Amino acid sequence: MKRTMCSVLMVLLICAGIAAGGGTPVGTLPALAPSAAWAQASQGGKMTEQGTPRSETLVMDQLNGRVANARLFNPYLPGVEINNGLKPLFPPLWEMDTMKGEMFPAVAAEPLKPLNAEFTRFQIKVRPGIYWSDGVEFTVADIAFTIQMLVRTEKLPTSAYWARILKPDTRMLDKYTLEIQTVNPYPRLQQVLGTTIASNSFRVVAKHIWEKQDPTKFENYPPVTISPYVLKSNDPNGQWFLYERRPDWQRTDTAMVAGEPKPKYILYRFWGPEEKRILAAIQNDLDILMDITPESWDILRDKNKNAQAWLKDFPYAAFDDPCVRGVVLNTSKVPYDKREVRWALALATDIQGVSMATFNGMLRVSPLPIPPTTVLQKTYMFPMESWLAAFALPDGYKPFDPSYAEAMAKKLTDSGIKGVPTDRAAIRQLFGVGWWKFDTAQAAKLLQGQGFKKDARGKWQLPDGKPWTITINAPNNFEVQSMRLAFAVADSWKKFGIDVTVKQLESAPFNSAFQTGDYEADVHWPGCGVMPDVYTNMDLNWHQRLAVPNGTPAAGNNSRFKSAQVSAVLDELGKLTDKDPKVVPLTTDFFKLMVAEAAWLPMFGTSKFVPVTTHYWTGFPTAENPYEGPWWWWTGMRYYLTKFKPTGNVK
Amino acid sequence: MRFLTFLLSRLVTYILVIWIGVTMVFLVPRFLPSSPVEAMMAKVAAQGQYMEAAQIESLRNSLMETFGLKGSLFQQYTGFFKRVLLTGDFGPSFSAFPTPVSQLVAQALPWSLGLLLTSSVLGWLLGNAIGLFAGYRKETLASKALEFLAMLIYPIPYYIFALVLIILFTYVWQIFPFSFYIDANKPLSVGLIKDIVYNSALPALSIIAVNLGWWVISMKALSASVAEEDFVHFARLKGVSEPRIMTHYVARNALLPQITMLAIRLGTIFNGALITEILFGFPGVGTLIYSSALQADYNLMLGTISFSVIAVATATLIVDLTYPLLDPRIRYR
Repeated sequence: MKRTMCSVLMVLLICAGIAAGGGTPVGTLPALAPSAAWAQASQGGKMTEQGTPRSETLVMDQLNGRVANARLFNPYLPGVEINNGLKPLFPPLWEMDTMKGEMFPAVAAEPLKPLNAEFTRFQIKVRPGIYWSDGVEFTVADIAFTIQMLVRTEKLPTSAYWARILKPDTRMLDKYTLEIQTVNPYPRLQQVLGTTIASNSFRVVAKHIWEKQDPTKFENYPPVTISPYVLKSNDPNGQWFLYERRPDWQRTDTAMVAGEPKPKYILYRFWGPEEKRILAAIQNDLDILMDITPESWDILRDKNKNAQAWLKDFPYAAFDDPCVRGVVLNTSKVPYDKREVRWALALATDIQGVSMATFNGMLRVSPLPIPPTTVLQKTYMFPMESWLAAFALPDGYKPFDPSYAEAMAKKLTDSGIKGVPTDRAAIRQLFGVGWWKFDTAQAAKLLQGQGFKKDARGKWQLPDGKPWTITINAPNNFEVQSMRLAFAVADSWKKFGIDVTVKQLESAPFNSAFQTGDYEADVHWPGCGVMPDVYTNMDLNWHQRLAVPNGTPAAGNNSRFKSAQVSAVLDELGKLTDKDPKVVPLTTDFFKLMVAEAAWLPMFGTSKFVPVTTHYWTGFPTAENPYEGPWWWWTGMRYYLTKFKPTGNVK
Repeated sequence: MRFLTFLLSRLVTYILVIWIGVTMVFLVPRFLPSSPVEAMMAKVAAQGQYMEAAQIESLRNSLMETFGLKGSLFQQYTGFFKRVLLTGDFGPSFSAFPTPVSQLVAQALPWSLGLLLTSSVLGWLLGNAIGLFAGYRKETLASKALEFLAMLIYPIPYYIFALVLIILFTYVWQIFPFSFYIDANKPLSVGLIKDIVYNSALPALSIIAVNLGWWVISMKALSASVAEEDFVHFARLKGVSEPRIMTHYVARNALLPQITMLAIRLGTIFNGALITEILFGFPGVGTLIYSSALQADYNLMLGTISFSVIAVATATLIVDLTYPLLDPRIRYR
C-alpha cells in the first residue's frame, strides 16, 4: 500500500506538470524541432511565448541576465540596466562606424561644429523629420532641455559630471539648430555626446514628457523614444523585454541613415547559464548570442548547421573588440616600480603558450597599449613594425619577436586545426604584428642587474633576500578571457621561478582593488579605443596627474604610473581635435615611450565569440560581409537591423 | 507560570538572534574590500560611458551622497535600525537605484516561497514515507532498491542533476518548458495557475529529488532503529497490526528529529535558491542575493539576508514552541 502511494505521488507530480502544460507531445526530436517552451503554431507558423510570429521576431540574449527593476527606463538613474534593449531606445547624436574607426552623424545632421578657436562654443544641427514615438516632433529643444535638466538637477548622480562639461545656457537658432557652451575648452566634445565605445552617455529625453517629472524619481515607463522600436511588453520580473517596430519607423534617424529595420519584433530574453543558452541556440530559439566560450562555440557549430560566427573558419571569433587585455602592474609598489623588472616579466612570458592556454590560440597579440583592431593595426601596429624590430633595451638587447603570428599559425596547423591561413600577410593580420620574445635568459639577466637572485630551489629572491611572490588579481567566472589569461601567465612565470598565485575576485572587489591600488598584478583591460584618436582613454589611464597613493580610489591611472615624458605627450595631444593630422604621429610617439617603459603588459585583443543562428534571419555582419562588427550590445545595433533579412522559415 | 517563563526565554532568544544576525549582515559587507560606489563606477564604465578623471571623481562623490554612505559607521548603523524598525524600509537598492529593496524583495519572495516551500515540504513528505517503509521493511527487495536509489541521487551535485533534468525533459523529451515563462501581466485565473504549475514542475521536481535522498536515508536509519525498540516488540506481541505499528509506533517516534531538521531546512531554503533560479530562469530572491553580493549592494544584501535570518529564527522558534505539542515526553517534563 505504502509502496503504491510513493510511486503514485511521484507520477502525479510529473503528470500535474504535463497536464498543466497541455500535454505537449513527447518524443525524441532533432535539433531543429520546436521546443515545448514555445507556443503552439498559429496559421502554420511558430509563435514565441509572447505571442509574436517567430519568423518576424529577432530573439536576442539578454546580456546581463535578469533585470531587477523591469520598469526602470530612466537612463540617468544609476540602477538602470541598459542591456535589455534600452541602448537602441536612446539613439546618440553621433554614432560610431567601427570598421572605419570614425564617428558619423546619427540623430545629428552633421558633425559637431566648433564656433570658436577655444573650443567652448559649438553648434548642433539635427535631422528634421524625426519624431518621438508618441507623435511629437523631435527638435533641439529636447537637447537643450536634457542639458539643463542634467546640469541643474543636482540630485541626479551624474549631474556633477555634466556640470563640469556643459553650461546650461543654450541658444536655439531654429527647431533643428542649437548652440551650446562648455565650461572649459573641449576639442573632443563630440566624443562625449556621441557613441565612441558601445554606448553614449548623453541620452536625449523628451522635453514634453520629462518637464512634468522629477528626473531623480521618474521611471520613464513605458519609454517614449526616437528609436524605430517601442517597448511592447515585458516580464515584470525582468526576464524578457519585447519591442515592436513603430508604424512610423520612417520618422527616425535609423530610417534616414540606413533604411527599414527588418524585424517587426525584437525579444531580449534571459535564458540562464551558458549551457542553456547553447541549447536554445541549437534549437534555433535564440538568434543572437552574447559572449560564449570557444568550447561552447564548438558544441554549437557541431549541433546546429545554422550557427554562424564572425569568421567562417578557425579562429571564428571577432578580434576587433575595442579593448586589449593583459597584466597591469602596480608601478607604485616595489619591485614593479622598476622598468627592468617589468621588462623581465614580459620576457618571462611564453606568449604562445599563454594564447593556447587561454583561448586555444584564438587570439591576436598587441605589443602596444591599444587593442589590435583592424583599424588600429593599420594605423599604428604595422606602421610601427620597423621601429618595434629596431627597439633595444639599454643593454642593446632587441626584445621584439615579429615571428609570433607565423609560429602560431604553424603550431595550430600542426595540431590539426583546419582553415588557418597560409598567406603571410593574412596570418599577420589575423594573429597580430608580434610580441616580445620568450627569453628567460634575458629576463634573468635583467633581474640580476637589479639585485635579484635565485635560491637553491631555483626560486627568485628579491634584492633584500626575501622570496619573490606575485599575486595576480583575476575575475572570478566573469570576463572569462581575462580569468584564463591570469592562470596562463601565472603558469609561465612559475616556470621561470617566481612564486605566483592567482586571486580570483567577484566584480565589486575586483574593481575596488584595481581602483584603490590594492594589488600587485591585475589582469585587466585598460587600453580601449576604436578610432585612431585614442587620447581620452590613454590620458585617463597613463597621465601622472591621476596617480594617487595606494588606498585612495583612483579616477584613472590605476597602475599609478608616473612618467613626465609620457604625460607631456598626452598634454600635447589633449590640445588637438580628433581630426588633427598631428594626432597619429604624436600618439605614435606616446606608444614608443610606453613600450620603452613597459608601463604595463598588454597581450591580446578581446576575442568575441558572439555567434548567431540563421534559421530565421540572415544578413548578420560577418568577416565576409563586414558592414559592421558583431557588436549586438552597442547603440549602432539599430542600423544593423536594416541589413537583416527574414529567411522565410516559419517553423 | 513555568510556560510563561519558557515562552519569554524563547522570545528573548528569538529577538537577540535576529538583532545579532542583522547587525552582522550590516557590518560584514562594510568590511569587505569592495564598495557599491566602485561597483557602480565599473558598471558605468562597462556601458562605454566617456569620462575624464575629474568627472569620475564628481560621479564618485555624488554616488556616495546618493547611496547614503557618507557619515560614520555608527551613524549609518543607527540610521539603518531606525529606518527598518520604524518603517520596515531597507532603503534603496544600489544596483537597481532608486528602486526600494522592499519592492524587489516583495516581487521576488512569493515566487521563491511558492516553489521552495512547496517542493521542500513535498520532498520531506515523500522522503519520510519512503524512508519509513525502507527502514521498517528493511529486508525486502523494494526497500533495498529504494535505499539504493536514494543513495544514488543524494551525492549528485544539484547543478549537474538539474542540468540533466533540463536536458532530458526539455530537450530530448520536450515535456516541460525550456525556460520559465509566465505572463505575469495576466490577472489571476485558472489559466495563469495552470501556467505556474506547468512552469514550476521541473524546478520543483529537481528540488524534491535531491532532497529526497537525504530524507530517505535519515528516515530509514531512524525507523530501523525505532523498529528494534522494546515497545515495538511489545505492540507486536499484543497483536497490533503491522501497518498500525509502522504508522503509529515507529513513524511517530522517528519523525521527531525529522521535524526539527525540516524546520532548520525551511529556514535555509533560500540558500539553494540561486542555482535553481539561474538554471530554470525562475524569478526569486536567490538572484537578488547573488547580485547584491557581486555588486556590493549593502541594502539589498541587508534586505534579502535579513529575511533569511528572520526565517531561520522564526522556524526555530516555532519548533521550540510546538515541540511539546508533538512530543508528550517534553510536555510532561
